[in-house]
Amino acid sequence: MRRTASLVLLACAVFFAALSPLLRWYAFPRLAKIPANQYQDMVLVAKNATLLDYGTMKAKKVPQVTIVQTLKGDVAAAKRIEETAGRDVVVWDGLSYVQGPDGKMVSEIPERYIFDAHSQEPVHATGEMVDGDPVKRDGIEFKWPFLTEKRDYEYFDAQTRTTNPIHYKGTRTFRGVEVYYFEQTIPWTKVPMPKKMPVQGITPESVAKTGTTRWYTTVRRFWVEPVTGAPVYGEETHQEELRGGTLLGGRAKVTAFAGDVKMREDYIEHTIALVKHNRTLVLLMTSYLPWGFLSLGIALLALALWLEALGRRPADPQPVAASAPEPVSA
Amino acid sequence: MRALIAAATGLTLAVVLVVTISALGSPAGETSPKPLLTTVPSHP
Repeated sequence: MRRTASLVLLACAVFFAALSPLLRWYAFPRLAKIPANQYQDMVLVAKNATLLDYGTMKAKKVPQVTIVQTLKGDVAAAKRIEETAGRDVVVWDGLSYVQGPDGKMVSEIPERYIFDAHSQEPVHATGEMVDGDPVKRDGIEFKWPFLTEKRDYEYFDAQTRTTNPIHYKGTRTFRGVEVYYFEQTIPWTKVPMPKKMPVQGITPESVAKTGTTRWYTTVRRFWVEPVTGAPVYGEETHQEELRGGTLLGGRAKVTAFAGDVKMREDYIEHTIALVKHNRTLVLLMTSYLPWGFLSLGIALLALALWLEALGRRPADPQPVAASAPEPVSA
Repeated sequence: MRALIAAATGLTLAVVLVVTISALGSPAGETSPKPLLTTVPSHP
Protein backbone atom coordinates (compact mmCIF):
# COMPACT_ATOMS: atom_id res chain seq x y z
CA MET A 1 0.00 0.00 0.00
CA ARG A 2 2.82 2.39 0.99
CA ARG A 3 4.68 1.40 -2.15
CA THR A 4 1.72 2.34 -4.39
CA ALA A 5 1.21 5.65 -2.58
CA SER A 6 4.88 6.58 -2.97
CA LEU A 7 4.72 5.80 -6.73
CA VAL A 8 1.62 8.01 -7.14
CA LEU A 9 3.34 10.78 -5.20
CA LEU A 10 6.44 10.41 -7.38
CA ALA A 11 4.31 10.78 -10.54
CA CYS A 12 2.67 13.91 -9.07
CA ALA A 13 6.08 15.29 -8.03
CA VAL A 14 7.46 14.91 -11.57
CA PHE A 15 4.20 16.36 -13.01
CA PHE A 16 4.43 19.57 -10.95
CA ALA A 17 8.21 19.91 -11.25
CA ALA A 18 7.92 19.58 -15.04
CA LEU A 19 5.02 22.07 -15.19
CA SER A 20 7.25 24.76 -13.71
CA PRO A 21 9.71 25.27 -16.62
CA LEU A 22 7.10 24.27 -19.23
CA LEU A 23 4.78 27.04 -18.04
CA ARG A 24 7.52 29.67 -17.96
CA TRP A 25 9.39 28.88 -21.17
CA TYR A 26 6.83 27.06 -23.33
CA ALA A 27 3.34 28.25 -22.40
CA PHE A 28 4.10 31.88 -21.45
CA PRO A 29 5.68 32.95 -24.78
CA ARG A 30 2.72 31.40 -26.61
CA LEU A 31 -0.10 32.57 -24.34
CA ALA A 32 1.02 36.10 -23.44
CA LYS A 33 -0.20 38.27 -26.27
CA ILE A 34 -2.08 41.45 -27.08
CA PRO A 35 -5.70 40.53 -27.89
CA ALA A 36 -6.59 41.18 -31.53
CA ASN A 37 -9.83 42.91 -30.50
CA GLN A 38 -8.26 45.40 -28.08
CA TYR A 39 -9.90 48.82 -27.90
CA GLN A 40 -8.54 51.65 -25.85
CA ASP A 41 -8.59 55.41 -25.71
CA MET A 42 -6.34 57.96 -24.11
CA VAL A 43 -6.69 61.67 -23.46
CA LEU A 44 -3.67 63.94 -23.29
CA VAL A 45 -3.70 67.66 -22.63
CA ALA A 46 -1.31 70.52 -23.29
CA LYS A 47 -2.07 73.40 -20.92
CA ASN A 48 -1.01 76.96 -21.84
CA ALA A 49 -0.02 75.82 -25.29
CA THR A 50 0.80 77.91 -28.38
CA LEU A 51 -1.44 77.29 -31.36
CA LEU A 52 -1.56 78.78 -34.84
CA ASP A 53 -4.67 80.76 -35.70
CA TYR A 54 -5.21 79.88 -39.36
CA GLY A 55 -7.44 82.96 -39.77
CA THR A 56 -4.67 85.44 -39.00
CA MET A 57 -1.76 83.04 -39.53
CA LYS A 58 -0.37 84.13 -36.15
CA ALA A 59 0.54 81.99 -33.17
CA LYS A 60 -1.39 82.63 -29.97
CA LYS A 61 -1.45 81.30 -26.43
CA VAL A 62 -4.44 79.08 -25.65
CA PRO A 63 -5.50 77.63 -22.28
CA GLN A 64 -5.61 74.04 -23.45
CA VAL A 65 -5.19 71.74 -26.44
CA THR A 66 -6.57 68.23 -26.09
CA ILE A 67 -5.36 65.12 -27.91
CA VAL A 68 -7.66 62.10 -28.03
CA GLN A 69 -5.88 58.94 -29.08
CA THR A 70 -7.87 55.81 -29.91
CA LEU A 71 -6.53 52.35 -30.76
CA LYS A 72 -8.90 49.74 -32.14
CA GLY A 73 -7.95 46.20 -33.12
CA ASP A 74 -9.28 45.00 -36.48
CA VAL A 75 -9.83 41.26 -35.92
CA ALA A 76 -10.75 40.38 -39.54
CA ALA A 77 -7.65 42.16 -40.91
CA ALA A 78 -5.48 40.42 -38.29
CA LYS A 79 -6.80 36.98 -39.31
CA ARG A 80 -6.17 37.76 -43.00
CA ILE A 81 -2.57 38.81 -42.34
CA GLU A 82 -1.97 35.85 -39.98
CA GLU A 83 -2.64 33.44 -42.87
CA THR A 84 0.39 34.73 -44.79
CA ALA A 85 2.55 35.87 -41.87
CA GLY A 86 2.22 32.51 -40.09
CA ARG A 87 2.10 34.09 -36.62
CA ASP A 88 -0.32 35.84 -34.29
CA VAL A 89 -0.81 39.38 -35.53
CA VAL A 90 -2.57 42.46 -34.17
CA VAL A 91 -3.82 45.21 -36.47
CA TRP A 92 -4.38 48.49 -34.68
CA ASP A 93 -6.27 51.28 -36.37
CA GLY A 94 -5.36 54.44 -34.52
CA LEU A 95 -6.57 58.00 -34.59
CA SER A 96 -4.87 61.00 -33.02
CA TYR A 97 -7.52 63.69 -32.88
CA VAL A 98 -6.32 67.11 -31.75
CA GLN A 99 -8.92 69.57 -30.48
CA GLY A 100 -8.39 73.27 -29.86
CA PRO A 101 -9.79 75.24 -26.89
CA ASP A 102 -12.90 76.13 -28.92
CA GLY A 103 -13.68 72.44 -29.45
CA LYS A 104 -12.77 72.56 -33.13
CA MET A 105 -10.50 70.07 -34.84
CA VAL A 106 -6.84 71.10 -35.14
CA SER A 107 -5.60 67.94 -36.78
CA GLU A 108 -6.69 64.36 -37.27
CA ILE A 109 -4.08 61.71 -38.11
CA PRO A 110 -5.16 58.11 -38.70
CA GLU A 111 -2.68 55.27 -38.78
CA ARG A 112 -2.56 51.50 -39.09
CA TYR A 113 0.02 49.62 -37.02
CA ILE A 114 0.50 45.90 -37.63
CA PHE A 115 2.61 43.93 -35.18
CA ASP A 116 3.38 40.51 -33.70
CA ALA A 117 0.91 39.86 -30.86
CA HIS A 118 3.62 38.27 -28.66
CA SER A 119 6.81 40.25 -29.29
CA GLN A 120 5.30 43.55 -30.54
CA GLU A 121 7.72 43.43 -33.48
CA PRO A 122 6.28 45.24 -36.50
CA VAL A 123 4.80 43.03 -39.22
CA HIS A 124 4.86 44.43 -42.74
CA ALA A 125 1.66 44.03 -44.72
CA THR A 126 -0.46 46.04 -47.11
CA GLY A 127 -2.37 48.72 -45.25
CA GLU A 128 0.42 49.75 -42.86
CA MET A 129 0.20 53.55 -42.99
CA VAL A 130 0.25 56.93 -41.30
CA ASP A 131 -2.26 59.53 -42.51
CA GLY A 132 -2.75 57.56 -45.72
CA ASP A 133 1.00 57.35 -46.51
CA PRO A 134 2.36 53.79 -46.71
CA VAL A 135 5.10 53.31 -44.09
CA LYS A 136 7.42 50.53 -42.99
CA ARG A 137 7.96 50.53 -39.24
CA ASP A 138 11.21 49.06 -37.93
CA GLY A 139 10.45 49.63 -34.29
CA ILE A 140 7.75 49.43 -31.66
CA GLU A 141 5.00 52.00 -31.15
CA PHE A 142 2.64 52.67 -28.19
CA LYS A 143 3.68 49.54 -26.23
CA TRP A 144 6.90 47.76 -25.23
CA PRO A 145 7.26 43.94 -25.30
CA PHE A 146 6.31 41.83 -22.29
CA LEU A 147 9.27 41.58 -19.86
CA THR A 148 10.83 44.81 -21.12
CA GLU A 149 14.61 44.91 -20.81
CA LYS A 150 16.85 47.67 -19.49
CA ARG A 151 18.10 48.72 -22.92
CA ASP A 152 17.40 51.09 -25.77
CA TYR A 153 14.59 50.15 -28.16
CA GLU A 154 13.78 51.27 -31.70
CA TYR A 155 10.64 53.42 -31.60
CA PHE A 156 8.57 54.58 -34.56
CA ASP A 157 7.75 58.28 -34.86
CA ALA A 158 4.49 58.80 -36.77
CA GLN A 159 5.15 62.46 -37.67
CA THR A 160 8.49 61.88 -39.40
CA ARG A 161 7.54 58.31 -40.43
CA THR A 162 10.98 57.19 -39.22
CA THR A 163 12.25 54.76 -36.59
CA ASN A 164 14.84 56.00 -34.07
CA PRO A 165 16.27 54.74 -30.77
CA ILE A 166 14.37 55.45 -27.58
CA HIS A 167 16.86 55.40 -24.73
CA TYR A 168 16.53 53.58 -21.42
CA LYS A 169 17.38 56.21 -18.79
CA GLY A 170 16.95 54.28 -15.57
CA THR A 171 14.51 52.58 -13.22
CA ARG A 172 12.11 54.76 -11.27
CA THR A 173 9.00 54.50 -9.15
CA PHE A 174 5.87 56.08 -10.56
CA ARG A 175 2.96 56.23 -8.10
CA GLY A 176 4.05 53.04 -6.39
CA VAL A 177 4.84 51.11 -9.58
CA GLU A 178 8.43 50.26 -10.55
CA VAL A 179 8.93 51.53 -14.09
CA TYR A 180 11.65 51.87 -16.71
CA TYR A 181 12.03 55.43 -17.96
CA PHE A 182 12.61 55.89 -21.71
CA GLU A 183 13.32 59.09 -23.63
CA GLN A 184 13.57 59.92 -27.33
CA THR A 185 14.45 63.22 -28.97
CA ILE A 186 13.39 63.86 -32.54
CA PRO A 187 15.40 66.86 -33.86
CA TRP A 188 13.77 69.48 -36.09
CA THR A 189 12.63 67.54 -39.15
CA LYS A 190 10.55 68.54 -42.18
CA VAL A 191 7.29 66.56 -42.01
CA PRO A 192 4.27 66.23 -44.31
CA MET A 193 1.21 68.43 -43.86
CA PRO A 194 -1.75 66.54 -42.36
CA LYS A 195 -4.19 65.37 -45.05
CA LYS A 196 -7.05 66.92 -43.09
CA MET A 197 -6.42 70.60 -42.38
CA PRO A 198 -8.35 72.62 -39.77
CA VAL A 199 -9.59 75.20 -42.29
CA GLN A 200 -11.97 74.22 -45.07
CA GLY A 201 -10.59 74.80 -48.54
CA ILE A 202 -6.96 74.49 -47.45
CA THR A 203 -5.36 71.24 -48.52
CA PRO A 204 -1.78 69.94 -48.24
CA GLU A 205 -1.50 70.46 -52.01
CA SER A 206 -2.61 74.12 -51.84
CA VAL A 207 -0.14 74.77 -48.99
CA ALA A 208 2.63 73.05 -50.94
CA LYS A 209 2.04 75.46 -53.84
CA THR A 210 2.82 78.42 -51.55
CA GLY A 211 6.21 76.90 -50.73
CA THR A 212 5.44 76.74 -46.98
CA THR A 213 6.72 73.65 -45.23
CA ARG A 214 5.95 72.06 -41.84
CA TRP A 215 8.71 71.24 -39.34
CA TYR A 216 8.53 69.33 -36.07
CA THR A 217 10.61 68.41 -33.05
CA THR A 218 9.71 66.51 -29.91
CA VAL A 219 11.11 65.04 -26.74
CA ARG A 220 9.10 61.93 -25.96
CA ARG A 221 9.13 60.37 -22.48
CA PHE A 222 7.61 57.09 -21.36
CA TRP A 223 7.39 55.43 -17.95
CA VAL A 224 7.04 51.73 -18.81
CA GLU A 225 5.95 48.98 -16.41
CA PRO A 226 8.51 46.29 -17.36
CA VAL A 227 6.50 43.09 -16.69
CA THR A 228 3.64 44.03 -19.03
CA GLY A 229 5.60 46.45 -21.24
CA ALA A 230 2.76 48.94 -20.90
CA PRO A 231 3.49 52.63 -20.44
CA VAL A 232 1.79 53.87 -17.26
CA TYR A 233 2.56 57.48 -18.12
CA GLY A 234 3.81 59.44 -21.11
CA GLU A 235 4.48 63.02 -22.04
CA GLU A 236 5.92 65.01 -24.93
CA THR A 237 7.50 68.41 -25.30
CA HIS A 238 6.19 69.00 -28.78
CA GLN A 239 6.84 71.87 -31.21
CA GLU A 240 5.66 72.44 -34.79
CA GLU A 241 6.49 75.31 -37.12
CA LEU A 242 5.49 76.43 -40.59
CA ARG A 243 8.52 77.75 -42.46
CA GLY A 244 9.02 79.86 -45.60
CA GLY A 245 6.73 80.33 -48.55
CA THR A 246 4.19 83.00 -49.37
CA LEU A 247 1.65 81.76 -46.79
CA LEU A 248 3.57 83.41 -43.94
CA GLY A 249 3.57 86.90 -45.47
CA GLY A 250 7.31 87.32 -45.56
CA ARG A 251 8.00 85.79 -42.12
CA ALA A 252 10.63 83.05 -41.97
CA LYS A 253 8.61 80.86 -39.63
CA VAL A 254 5.58 80.74 -37.36
CA THR A 255 4.78 78.35 -34.52
CA ALA A 256 1.95 76.01 -35.47
CA PHE A 257 1.90 74.27 -32.07
CA ALA A 258 4.06 74.26 -28.97
CA GLY A 259 3.22 72.67 -25.67
CA ASP A 260 3.92 70.07 -23.01
CA VAL A 261 1.54 67.24 -23.75
CA LYS A 262 0.69 65.14 -20.69
CA MET A 263 -1.78 62.35 -19.89
CA ARG A 264 -4.97 63.53 -18.22
CA GLU A 265 -5.11 62.66 -14.51
CA ASP A 266 -8.13 60.30 -14.68
CA TYR A 267 -6.45 58.38 -17.51
CA ILE A 268 -3.24 58.03 -15.49
CA GLU A 269 -5.20 56.46 -12.60
CA HIS A 270 -7.15 54.21 -14.98
CA THR A 271 -3.96 53.09 -16.76
CA ILE A 272 -2.15 52.32 -13.50
CA ALA A 273 -5.07 50.21 -12.24
CA LEU A 274 -5.23 48.31 -15.54
CA VAL A 275 -1.47 47.73 -15.67
CA LYS A 276 -1.36 46.52 -12.05
CA HIS A 277 -4.09 43.95 -12.86
CA ASN A 278 -2.33 42.75 -16.05
CA ARG A 279 1.01 42.66 -14.21
CA THR A 280 -0.42 40.12 -11.75
CA LEU A 281 -1.60 37.91 -14.64
CA VAL A 282 1.84 37.99 -16.31
CA LEU A 283 3.62 37.35 -12.99
CA LEU A 284 1.29 34.39 -12.40
CA MET A 285 2.76 32.70 -15.49
CA THR A 286 6.35 33.89 -15.17
CA SER A 287 6.88 33.67 -11.44
CA TYR A 288 4.09 32.72 -9.02
CA LEU A 289 2.91 29.47 -10.67
CA PRO A 290 6.36 28.22 -11.84
CA TRP A 291 7.89 28.68 -8.37
CA GLY A 292 4.76 27.32 -6.69
CA PHE A 293 4.72 24.19 -8.87
CA LEU A 294 8.44 23.65 -8.38
CA SER A 295 8.09 23.87 -4.58
CA LEU A 296 5.11 21.52 -4.66
CA GLY A 297 7.05 19.06 -6.85
CA ILE A 298 9.98 19.05 -4.41
CA ALA A 299 7.65 18.57 -1.41
CA LEU A 300 5.83 15.68 -3.10
CA LEU A 301 9.14 14.08 -4.07
CA ALA A 302 10.34 14.28 -0.46
CA LEU A 303 7.07 12.69 0.71
CA ALA A 304 7.36 9.94 -1.91
CA LEU A 305 10.94 9.14 -0.82
CA TRP A 306 9.92 9.11 2.83
CA LEU A 307 7.08 6.65 2.15
CA GLU A 308 9.40 4.53 0.04
CA ALA A 309 11.95 4.47 2.85
CA LEU A 310 9.27 3.42 5.32
CA GLY A 311 8.22 0.60 3.00
CA ARG A 312 11.79 -0.71 2.72
CA ARG A 313 12.60 -0.63 6.46
CA PRO A 314 13.02 -4.25 7.76
CA ALA A 315 10.12 -5.41 9.88
CA ASP A 316 10.58 -5.42 13.66
CA PRO A 317 11.77 -8.81 14.94
CA GLN A 318 8.95 -11.04 16.12
CA PRO A 319 8.90 -11.44 19.91
CA VAL A 320 10.23 -14.83 20.86
CA ALA A 321 7.64 -16.88 22.63
CA ALA A 322 8.74 -17.58 26.16
CA SER A 323 9.25 -21.30 26.47
CA ALA A 324 8.98 -23.19 29.63
CA PRO A 325 12.39 -24.15 31.03
CA GLU A 326 13.20 -27.71 30.29
CA PRO A 327 14.27 -29.86 33.19
CA VAL A 328 17.94 -30.45 33.29
CA SER A 329 19.00 -33.87 34.20
CA ALA A 330 21.87 -34.09 36.60
CA MET B 1 11.38 0.10 -12.94
CA ARG B 2 7.99 1.00 -11.44
CA ALA B 3 9.43 4.33 -10.20
CA LEU B 4 10.66 5.09 -13.72
CA ILE B 5 7.21 4.42 -15.16
CA ALA B 6 5.60 6.66 -12.51
CA ALA B 7 8.04 9.52 -13.31
CA ALA B 8 7.51 9.13 -17.06
CA THR B 9 3.73 9.25 -16.54
CA GLY B 10 3.98 12.49 -14.56
CA LEU B 11 6.26 14.05 -17.17
CA THR B 12 4.02 12.98 -20.07
CA LEU B 13 0.89 14.39 -18.40
CA ALA B 14 2.64 17.72 -17.76
CA VAL B 15 3.83 18.02 -21.36
CA VAL B 16 0.43 17.05 -22.80
CA LEU B 17 -1.38 19.53 -20.53
CA VAL B 18 0.89 22.48 -21.32
CA VAL B 19 1.04 21.79 -25.06
CA THR B 20 -2.77 21.46 -25.21
CA ILE B 21 -3.42 24.67 -23.29
CA SER B 22 -0.85 26.54 -25.42
CA ALA B 23 -2.35 25.20 -28.64
CA LEU B 24 -5.86 26.20 -27.62
CA GLY B 25 -4.76 29.77 -26.91
CA SER B 26 -7.39 32.42 -26.40
CA PRO B 27 -10.23 33.37 -28.77
CA ALA B 28 -9.60 36.42 -30.99
CA GLY B 29 -13.04 37.88 -30.33
CA GLU B 30 -14.76 40.45 -32.51
CA THR B 31 -13.73 43.92 -33.59
CA SER B 32 -15.11 46.47 -31.15
CA PRO B 33 -18.15 48.34 -32.45
CA LYS B 34 -16.92 51.51 -30.70
CA PRO B 35 -15.67 54.25 -33.05
CA LEU B 36 -12.32 56.00 -33.25
CA LEU B 37 -13.00 59.05 -31.11
CA THR B 38 -13.36 62.59 -32.45
CA THR B 39 -14.76 63.96 -29.21
CA VAL B 40 -13.13 64.23 -25.80
CA PRO B 41 -14.42 61.49 -23.46
CA SER B 42 -15.41 62.73 -20.01
CA HIS B 43 -13.82 59.71 -18.29
CA PRO B 44 -11.86 56.55 -19.21
